[in-house]
Amino acid sequence: MGWENRERGGRYYTRSRKVDGRVVREYVGGGLIGELAARFDEAEREKRKVEAAMVHLERARVEALVVPVVELYEVTEVLCRAALVDGGYRRYQGKWRRKREQRT
Amino acid sequence: MSKELEVSNETKAKLRELRILSDKAEAGEKGARRELRRAIRNSTPEVVAKASDIARKGHMILIGAAAGGDPLMKEALSARLDLMRTQIAGESPSPLEALLTDRVVSCWLLVELLEALTSAQLQTGEHMKDKHVPDSFLKLIFKWQESTHRRYLTAMRELARIRKLQRGTPEVQYNTQINLRSE
Repeated sequence: MGWENRERGGRYYTRSRKVDGRVVREYVGGGLIGELAARFDEAEREKRKVEAAMVHLERARVEALVVPVVELYEVTEVLCRAALVDGGYRRYQGKWRRKREQRT
Repeated sequence: MSKELEVSNETKAKLRELRILSDKAEAGEKGARRELRRAIRNSTPEVVAKASDIARKGHMILIGAAAGGDPLMKEALSARLDLMRTQIAGESPSPLEALLTDRVVSCWLLVELLEALTSAQLQTGEHMKDKHVPDSFLKLIFKWQESTHRRYLTAMRELARIRKLQRGTPEVQYNTQINLRSE
């Protein structure tokens, strides 16, 4: 994306974007139209950068809340499972069931 | 995530051992159940203590986030969690029951927090201008919310199951001697 210098002289603004996995170049124009498009793209890029930074920050904030709970959940899961297996339970199609008592 | 909220490598090794032995015992491997019982007896108290510590610190973080700097709210939430813990754990819970209670309480608070977060994002109006997060992030919060809710329900179910299991094994055995022969 950017300005191209033409052989005939003058500059030409182009944009590149991906369409179906292929890079397609869009020829916008030179002069005032090119200048406006370049400024618009620059503003868009800035906006996306700010948005990405915000998402990164927010994500870290929410992750800080979620991760300790997940950690606790997983530790407890192992202990629970060990206690259940020891207590004669077994998993059947993802559900815990008590093993039938053996007849003597 | 800060280091103090992570399970230490030593505890992780103990958990791994418990997981492997549970697998073996479930598969019916000879002697695995006895090994599992030994491992539970040896490592559970320490792992429970470490996990309780994580739970306590995690609660403080969740309360802090939910209160948003309001000391009164912080106190109220802390008291609410204590009350919930007492109500759910009941009288004289076993260490595992206490830990499972902590898990239920943590999941509940996180569900509430994430719900508040998404509700705020779905609001419209002038006051929400520039406060909306991108859709991709909102989708991520929804995903977290869904998995936390699922974990919350599982945590309650597991607590009930462990309680049922522990009810079946008496903690104290009473031996009474009856003399039938009269002198």
